[in-house]
Amino acid sequence: MTVPLLEIDDVTKQFGGLRAVDNTNFTLETGKLHAIIGPNGAGKTTLFNLITGTLPTTSGRIRFLGDDITDEPVHKISQRGLARTLQIKSVFGGLTVRENLWIAARSRYGVFAPFMSWRRCRKSNERADAVCEELGLMPHADQLAANLSYGDVALLEIGLALATQPKLLLLDEPICGMGPAETEKTVAKIQDLSKRIDIVIIEHDIEVVFNIADEITVMANGGVLAKGTPDEIANDPDVRTAYLGDDDDA
Amino acid sequence: MTVQTINRAGTLLLVVFTLTAPWVLPLFVDSFWVDIYSEILIWSLLAASVNLLFGYVGLLSFGQALYFGMGMYGVAIGIAKLGFGFWGGFGFGVVLATAMAAVAGVLAVRLTWHYFAIITVVFSLIFYFLALSWKPLTGGDDGLPFGMPPLISIGDFELTLTDPDVQYFFIVLMVGACYALMGRIISSPLGRAFVTVRENDLRASLIGLNVYMIRLSAFIVSGFIAGVAGALFALFGRYASANFMFYHVSGEAVVWAIIGGVGTLFGPIVGTSLLIVLREELSHVWAHYPILVGIVVILTVIFAPKGIGGIWTSLVHRFAGANAGKGGDQ
Repeated sequence: MTVPLLEIDDVTKQFGGLRAVDNTNFTLETGKLHAIIGPNGAGKTTLFNLITGTLPTTSGRIRFLGDDITDEPVHKISQRGLARTLQIKSVFGGLTVRENLWIAARSRYGVFAPFMSWRRCRKSNERADAVCEELGLMPHADQLAANLSYGDVALLEIGLALATQPKLLLLDEPICGMGPAETEKTVAKIQDLSKRIDIVIIEHDIEVVFNIADEITVMANGGVLAKGTPDEIANDPDVRTAYLGDDDDA
Repeated sequence: MTVQTINRAGTLLLVVFTLTAPWVLPLFVDSFWVDIYSEILIWSLLAASVNLLFGYVGLLSFGQALYFGMGMYGVAIGIAKLGFGFWGGFGFGVVLATAMAAVAGVLAVRLTWHYFAIITVVFSLIFYFLALSWKPLTGGDDGLPFGMPPLISIGDFELTLTDPDVQYFFIVLMVGACYALMGRIISSPLGRAFVTVRENDLRASLIGLNVYMIRLSAFIVSGFIAGVAGALFALFGRYASANFMFYHVSGEAVVWAIIGGVGTLFGPIVGTSLLIVLREELSHVWAHYPILVGIVVILTVIFAPKGIGGIWTSLVHRFAGANAGKGGDQ
C-alpha cells in the first residue's frame, strides 16, 4: 500500500455563518489526473486555499504524501512540492517571462544569498530556460509578463508552478476564459504533464474534464457528492440531478 | 550605443565628479557647495533607504528618520558619553540603527501599505519623544555635541575629520560603499526576491518564498543604510539632535526618493541633489518655497510616476533604440 497523495480528513472551513467546506473527506492516490467539479459555491477553490495554506482551516487535517500540512505557512507547503495556479491568473507582471521562471526555479535553492550575482545561478537559469522551452514561451522570454496575451499568462503561471519542481500540481480553472485554440493547446499540455506530475484540476468545462480526468470528485454545498471514474460519475443518478441536469445531451 | 554603455558612462561621470568635487566645484561656485555636496551624499543615503523598501520591496516607510537618528545618537553617545574612539562611535551608531530596525521590523513587516506606513511613523514618534525627554543621555532639545576623535593616529601622523578634505573623502568612501552594497544586493537572488514580493506577494509565497523574511531582511538592510547616513551626519555636524528623528525628515526622504525615481539605484541621489539645491537657492529668496516642492511632487506622481530616474531610463532606451533599432520588430 503506497502512501496516499492527498488526504482530506474531516476538513471544515467556516466563513461566519457559511460552511464553505463542510466536514469533507476524500483521499487521492498518486499516478492519476484528478478533477474536482461542482456548481459555483460548492467549495472547490476554498478547498484549494485550505490545501495550499492561503486560508486557515476551521477544523480537520490535511495530509500530503503522509505528512500533516494543515495550516502550515504557504511557502513551506510549496517547498514540500505542492504547487498551485490561481483562478485569477497571477504572475509577476513587472518581470520578464524568463525572470518570472528564474525566481520560481531559484526558490528551491534559497534566495537568502545577498552577495552572489543572480545571473550566475547556473541551475536556476537552466531550469528557467527548460520550462520556458517546454511551454513554448521562448519567443516571449524577454517580454514583460504584463504584456503577454491571456493564454500565455496562463501558460506562464503553469510554468511558475513547474519551475518549482512540484510533486503535485493544483490547477484552478486553467482554461477558463480561453478561446478554442488556446484551450486545446493548454489541455494537451496538462495531459502531457500528468504523465510525470500528479495533477488535481478544478474545471467547469465538463467536456474537457470527462476527456482528460482519470478520476472525478464531485463537490456540492461544501461536501463530496460522488467520486469515481468519468463513466461512474456520468452514470451516477445523484450527480445527474444535482449537477449535470436531467437532459441526456452530455 | 547600448543602454548599458550609456548608464555606465553616466555612473562614471557621477563618480569622477564626486572624486574631483573639492577642486572642481570651487572653480565655478562658492566653496561652501563642497559641504553642501557632502550633505547631499549623506541625505541621499536616507532617500536610498526609503527607495530600497518602497522601490524594491513595495513597502512605503514614513519612519526612516528613526534609524537615521539612531545612527546619529549612537555616534554622539558613543564618543561623548562612552568614550569610544572614532571607529567605535561610528560602529556603535550603525549597529544601534540596524538593531533598532531589526526590532521594529519584526513587528512592522507583518503589515503592508498604509498600516505599514502608520506603524513606521508610530515607532519613529515614540523614539523622537523619548530622545527629547531623556535629557541626561541625549541632551534633549539642545542636542548632544561631541569633540571629534582622530580617524587614524599613528605616532605623529593623524587624520581627523576637522581637515575638510579628509572629511569629504571619508563621507564619499562610506556613501560609495553603501551604494556598492545596495547594488550588490539588488543584483543577487535576494534582490530578485525583493522585486518578486513587490510585484505579487501571494504568488511569491505560492512559489515557496518566505515573504515575511524577505521583507524583514529588506527592512534591516534599509535601517542599516539609514543608520550609516545618520552616523555620517553626526560626524559631519559634530552633534546629534532629536530634530532629525522627527517624521518630517522621514517625509522629506520619501519625497526625494519619489522625485529621483523609486526602483533605480541612483534615483535617490538625483532627487536629493535637486531638492537640496532647490532649498539652498530658494529658501532665502522665498520662505514659502516648500509649496513649489509640493507642486513638483504632485506633477511627478501624476506625470512621471517613476521619477527622474524613470524619465532617464526611457530617454536612454529611446536613444539606444534609435541607434540600434534597425530591423527591430517593434
